[in-house]
Amino acid sequence: MTLPLLATTGFAAAMLIAALVALVTRSTAVAVLSAGLVSLFASVLFLFLAAPDVAMTEAAIGSGLTTFLFFFVLGRIRREGRDEQ
Amino acid sequence: MADPFLIAAAALVALALGLALARFLRGPRALDRVVAFDALTIVSVAAIALAGLVTGREIYLDVALVYALLSFLGVIVAARYLEGGEQ
Repeated sequence: MTLPLLATTGFAAAMLIAALVALVTRSTAVAVLSAGLVSLFASVLFLFLAAPDVAMTEAAIGSGLTTFLFFFVLGRIRREGRDEQ
Repeated sequence: MADPFLIAAAALVALALGLALARFLRGPRALDRVVAFDALTIVSVAAIALAGLVTGREIYLDVALVYALLSFLGVIVAARYLEGGEQ
């Protein structure tokens, strides 16, 4: 009984640390990466709480698609800012 | 649960999680954080597989498979953004 409790607590603490990094950092890329990390740990926590389908959706949408979309839009913004100069 | 193999595997996963998270916190450059992110996804896949082994549910391994495929994509996109290449 104590091993699942320890694992859940450890991943929850890691999720909080990643959220704090996303709040504190100055770099946008690091903030997006930290948000992806929060989503990753949330997915693992969903799995530990016996919801594998929710975990799979969170992994696909939250960690995969959102990080991809943020970096794609950041690259587009940077490229258009370069074109205007 | 009292299997020493499982205890050792859980301890190793916890150690890897702590080390990769420390690198993610300290990492002076963004590229260090990208590599730490990749390591953390691998640690998460290992933790999911371990959870599947402990609970005896095979569906957890499917989640680990989906996760390993998708984390690769995120790291590639982040690396390409930091490189500053054209789309």
